[in-house]
Amino acid sequence: MFDLTEEEILRYSRHIILSEVGGAGQQKLKEARVLVVGAGGLGSPVLLYLAAAGVGHIGVIEDDVVDVTNLQRQVIHSTGDVDKPKVHSARESMEQINPHIEVDVYHERLTKDNIFSLLEKYDIVVDGVDNFPTRYLINDACVMKKKKLVEGGILRFMGLVMSISGGETACYRCVYEEPPPPGTVPSCAEAGILGAVAGVVGTLQATEVLKMITGVGEPLYNRLLQFDAEALHFHELNAKRNPKCPVCGENPTITELIEYAYNCEIQAPGSPS
Amino acid sequence: MTMTGCGTHSEKDNKLLSFDKDVERNDNLTLTVQGKHVRYGGDADVRSLLESRGENSLYANVRINGTVLSRRDFENIPLSDGDEIDFLYFMGGGTCST
Repeated sequence: MFDLTEEEILRYSRHIILSEVGGAGQQKLKEARVLVVGAGGLGSPVLLYLAAAGVGHIGVIEDDVVDVTNLQRQVIHSTGDVDKPKVHSARESMEQINPHIEVDVYHERLTKDNIFSLLEKYDIVVDGVDNFPTRYLINDACVMKKKKLVEGGILRFMGLVMSISGGETACYRCVYEEPPPPGTVPSCAEAGILGAVAGVVGTLQATEVLKMITGVGEPLYNRLLQFDAEALHFHELNAKRNPKCPVCGENPTITELIEYAYNCEIQAPGSPS
Repeated sequence: MTMTGCGTHSEKDNKLLSFDKDVERNDNLTLTVQGKHVRYGGDADVRSLLESRGENSLYANVRINGTVLSRRDFENIPLSDGDEIDFLYFMGGGTCST
């Protein structure tokens, strides 16, 4: 028996007629609980598509406010939202798309002090952050708590996506064992980002979430997908779980959450990394 | 901060050529870089390969034939004909604002 109203059945009919999804899959979406970290370039398409798809419980954590420089790509926010907390702007957009979902907002930064309590409420986490300290924090916590995580990143004309089942498949550290030296990798604010690239990567992340929930297809486990917008080329790399991974390996050395320090210094090209 | 192309190779870069079986064979290495077959005529070490692609200012982990290299080995491990090289770009970080 499905807990879907007539309006919901009509709304989600294009899902339901997919034999691989059906009413059962739509019911799973309605019961799913997903936490999206970041309501920016990646978070925008993720949140919009999860809302549209009828994911029943969506959490959004983000401590920033909307800035005019965001509007080139953060399509969940509008001009009238400038200076508004992004979580509130995002929730309004999501609820306008779909009044049947519940959106919990956390206008705060994700830290090692709140991440575990947040993870208890959700089954799947989406990483839409713009800094490495939080990225590694999310990965480590999801491995420790055996949560599913959809990792994403963008810069200039490039993007990457990776799906992780904490404790079972390769994690972010299996590929990127430790953060890059401070100041060696610029942010989108410093190096730029082609706006639509955020849409490509974020929509891929949303796709992975829907697949995880419904069981359709194969998530991007043990694989890293890189996207080159200039050549419009996707390159998939094998990303096997590393038995020596410091957090998910056979003898983990990281058993407690780490909060790396932020560093705002960018090195000049050619400087030793 | 000067950013160079990330994840792409410039057609103007004569050290990194598209694979063309009609090109006369010389000492160039035939490599698979990011899934694409290329002929490479630069210095046969990872750092030089990275620089030929303009990656010098973008931090990436490098994997050769499935093994991730330590950054300090970029100049020490020679490239060989037939090597498969992947660049594991770091993306989505760097912001320090709160």
